[in-house]
Amino acid sequence: MSTIVRATGLTKTYGIGGGAVHAVSDASFALEENRIHGLLGRNGAGKTTLMQLLTGQEFATRGTIEVFGERPVENARVLDRVCFIKESQRYPDDFRVRHVLRSAPGFFPEWDADFADELVERFRVPLGRRMKKLSRGQLSAVGVIVGLASRAPLTFFDEPYLGLDAVARQLFYDVLLADYAEHPRTVILSTHLIDEVSNLLEHVLVIDDGRIVIDADADDLRGAAIDVVGARSAVDAFTADREVLHRAGLGGLATATVANLDDAGRKAARDAGLELAPVSLQQLVIRTTVGANAGHTNGENE
Amino acid sequence: MTTTALAARPAPIPGPGARVWRIVRLLTANPWTTVWWPVLILTAIFLMTLSIWGLIRLNVPDVGAEGLPGTQYNGGISWIFVYMLVVAVQAINLSFPLALGYGSTRRAFLLGTGLTFTILAAAYALLLTVGSTLEEATRGWGSGGAFFRPFYFATDAGPLAQWWIYFCWLAFFLFTGVYFAAVFVRWRAVGLTLALLLFAAVVIGAVALLTFTGGWGLVGDAIGTLGTVGSASVMLVPGLVAAAIGYGVLRRATPRA
Repeated sequence: MSTIVRATGLTKTYGIGGGAVHAVSDASFALEENRIHGLLGRNGAGKTTLMQLLTGQEFATRGTIEVFGERPVENARVLDRVCFIKESQRYPDDFRVRHVLRSAPGFFPEWDADFADELVERFRVPLGRRMKKLSRGQLSAVGVIVGLASRAPLTFFDEPYLGLDAVARQLFYDVLLADYAEHPRTVILSTHLIDEVSNLLEHVLVIDDGRIVIDADADDLRGAAIDVVGARSAVDAFTADREVLHRAGLGGLATATVANLDDAGRKAARDAGLELAPVSLQQLVIRTTVGANAGHTNGENE
Repeated sequence: MTTTALAARPAPIPGPGARVWRIVRLLTANPWTTVWWPVLILTAIFLMTLSIWGLIRLNVPDVGAEGLPGTQYNGGISWIFVYMLVVAVQAINLSFPLALGYGSTRRAFLLGTGLTFTILAAAYALLLTVGSTLEEATRGWGSGGAFFRPFYFATDAGPLAQWWIYFCWLAFFLFTGVYFAAVFVRWRAVGLTLALLLFAAVVIGAVALLTFTGGWGLVGDAIGTLGTVGSASVMLVPGLVAAAIGYGVLRRATPRA
């Protein structure tokens, strides 16, 4: 495996002095080629700024970025291989869907027109409608179609699920996986709707308040934490000397999210009469990004 | 782990020409705004002007050698020049974010925009020259009127010189539009307001300078000496300066939502 994106000490600050906003702070990470990477985080966490930095649309305040081994800013050799249709992408006022599909192929050497036509039909996007008049879901679908049909070696999908109905979400999921298997490429999928994409992802970057807080393989993450459920006293006793990411309780029952529980630990938990439950990627991200402050879904906080 | 070398991928790499040309395709993907609407509006204004001249002629029985009074001065084609400025601002403001999303560099976008505007100016100049030639041949559409050939655009030096005059003026407005569009894309409304104030200050300063130094006579002489062809050619200079500043401004701009 080779690295396709490498960021070192990447920082983007807007404004100066006390009012400065640190959109991305000292981010260092590497993304491997031909994998599906998730860029997860809350609204305003810095996902879009980070993607703009990686695609040369934004200029870094500090740090370095290498994409395909070179700086992306104003570098045609890099940008020719990149497709980044933003969630909030602006289109010319007079553009209809067909004008987008007419103008895109020139920018992507590996554009597949038949595939684009097929996707337009399957996503039921009205070709003759003005971009301004599209619904949120149709707008997302256009971004998804361009991203998929571009076959760009580095393709960004920015909040692809926004406004898509259940059928279209499933369609995106199926088509991305099928096409990715046939035409391997590097995908960076940014979203705050984590449950929707968790099964797609092979590698996860979680950004919070401009900082990379998780940089791990999805498989490792899925096993990284486990919920231990049972009587409050038993849970407390079991977790006394373990790393707990999050606690919640309701009456005499308690749940603790325990990190890095090995087989012996799992056996000990079962022996103590506790139940083990998997933690979804979404829950893990929530508990990592906001720590103990976010337990409302599980009842009262401790 | 090694960083993937660019050359290792077999994908075809577009040449510099293709990178510029696809911007032309992007800006004209919907030809209505840049091509068909201006032509339709020009045609409509022309037909309406002809009708008005026709109505006047019905009531002025004796058309002298000078033609109908008052038909030599009209703004018939002036609007198209201002419209070009608007086209330039709109095209850049709205296409810039999409071009960058498609993976264009700012440099290629600007070169492609410059090429598109040059082609547009050349094509419209050709259209106006055809109108001008017909106007001359029909002695002002039978009324001695000047729709395509008001005195400030007209020349007797032939169709090529006439085309050049139109081309220079169109290019001036399109390239001035590049400057204002670039300022708007980079610094939004605040920047544009400041740019317009600065522009006004420069104009007022120049007027004041000419007034205090009694230089208006020189300007008049210069325009007289240059003629319509020379004056139009001179307009290319501020146009190119504006475009160059616009280029510098947009090279550091970021597409915003």
